[in-house]
Amino acid sequence: MKKRTRRAVRHTVVYLSAFLLCSFSLFPILWGLSTSLKPEHQLYVQPPKWIPDPVTLEHYMDVFKNKMMLNYFYNSAFIAVASTVFSLMIGILAAYGFSRFKFPGRNTLLWSILFTQIFPRVVIIIPFYVTLKNLHLLGTYAGLILVYLIVVLPVSVWLLKGFIDKIPYEIEEAAIIDGCSIFSLLWRIVIPMTFPAIGAVAMYAFILSWNEFLFALVFSSAETRPLPIGLAFFIDEVGVQWGQLMSASILMSIPAVVVFSLSQKLLVRGLSEGGVKG
Amino acid sequence: MNNFRKTVRNLVPVYVLLLPCMLLLLFMMVYPVYQTVRFSMAEVKLPSFELIFVGLHNFIQIFSKEEMGIVFKNTLVWVIGSIVVKFMLGFWAALTFNVHVRGGLLLRIICLLPWTVPSIVSSNLWRWILQSDIGLLNGSLRAYGLGDMAHNWLGDPNSALYSVLVANAWSGFPFVMIMLLAGMQGISKELYEAGSMDGANAIQLFRYITIPSLMPIIVIVLLLQMIQNLNSFDMLYVLTGGGPGGASETLSLFVYRIGFTNFDFGGASAMSVALLVLAIILFSLYNLKSNKSGKREGAK
Repeated sequence: MKKRTRRAVRHTVVYLSAFLLCSFSLFPILWGLSTSLKPEHQLYVQPPKWIPDPVTLEHYMDVFKNKMMLNYFYNSAFIAVASTVFSLMIGILAAYGFSRFKFPGRNTLLWSILFTQIFPRVVIIIPFYVTLKNLHLLGTYAGLILVYLIVVLPVSVWLLKGFIDKIPYEIEEAAIIDGCSIFSLLWRIVIPMTFPAIGAVAMYAFILSWNEFLFALVFSSAETRPLPIGLAFFIDEVGVQWGQLMSASILMSIPAVVVFSLSQKLLVRGLSEGGVKG
Repeated sequence: MNNFRKTVRNLVPVYVLLLPCMLLLLFMMVYPVYQTVRFSMAEVKLPSFELIFVGLHNFIQIFSKEEMGIVFKNTLVWVIGSIVVKFMLGFWAALTFNVHVRGGLLLRIICLLPWTVPSIVSSNLWRWILQSDIGLLNGSLRAYGLGDMAHNWLGDPNSALYSVLVANAWSGFPFVMIMLLAGMQGISKELYEAGSMDGANAIQLFRYITIPSLMPIIVIVLLLQMIQNLNSFDMLYVLTGGGPGGASETLSLFVYRIGFTNFDFGGASAMSVALLVLAIILFSLYNLKSNKSGKREGAK
């Protein structure tokens, strides 16, 4: 009996503490959601009202009617898809090399790849700026995809290497004896066997590009401007349109929230293996 | 395996596989760093980017700028403050979610949400909440008769940095939570059982089993957080832009302003080199620590 009351107390404390943490985590998001669903005239009502009445989708409609906004969405999607595809192509080759071979300089290379992940970004924006300017790529999609690769490639290589490490090499051995070339080996055996993992890495890489801010700020032009920068400077003659801004923000968050929530286990494993075990 | 390696190596040198990746890293990481170092010791003539060697002049000039003291102070407050708040929240959350209760997983995912939201979105959410005239925070304060506390959070030099710090802690604490939670779940249950058999109470178990077992991961989390907060840019840039009057300007924003508002590429590069050295020191420490804990884990 005593044990049961102690258990009950313990559970109450846990639920109370979880409730406080969840409220802190949720309130800014719920407030944004509530704003995005309110009619325009209720946005600035004091004291603040949490429940929109009536619920309206007018701000979402405005986002879909706003040509600039659609353009930001398109730019973000295009750049993110392209940098994801390139980082996977380059990343799979490199990850396979790192996973299956021991060669001089291997560990140093792996660590320097990890280092790029925590590199202070502001340090390299000036040289990038000069390089892109010299190549006439400043403000172009190609230039942006190139700099975004630096954001996503290191993570892709690390995560992919971890997954390839786990598949047994005997099948590859047999294939080599049968005269299979290294590229058809990758294409026919390694890629199909790691397909789910590649999918997860692709989603992660997509989200990293989708969210990237600083590089987008410095290297995009009015035509290639991606969503994060569009939302940072979303202001017109009458000031900030908070309803529309919140709707676009909610829309922008959906891919990231879904991917991260679904793959948190996998990502934690990847992060802690990459970061903790070395 | 040895035989296999030899066969493959004969077919294709491993360097061919790594070539695209290495070329990209060389072009996008090594070369830019080399350029930054060169710029830091030169006067950069615009728009031709002609370099005139000036030695350490840029370093002396940038470090003797009058706002330097404030920038350093802000950076220190920002990094330490963010770490302390994130760590406390993260530790609290990890302890909470380490207990198995019904619906725990769902609650944990809810707590994870701030981390999954894109940085620009969290910035905008907080910008909207902290608005001086129509924001949720001031509105709620007034509604509960605390109107005296209503405040221009982002516009007052005394509160700007701290307001953004809260927003930053909000978006970053779930990461600390996941790392610590992963660490806690790795602690063997037998240790706790043995401890309680010897008559230790909950606080003693926490003090003598949980904390020491978590120590390696705590050190790693702290180092990662130091690097991350030192590098953080997005939130400060969107919420205050370093203002008002430089009251919330940290090193990253300072480098950005010197480079892309004042177009003093030499000065910005000098500051970048200093920042880079700091990052390398922190990374080496991290490297050392994580190798050690990796070995320890391997020994288990």
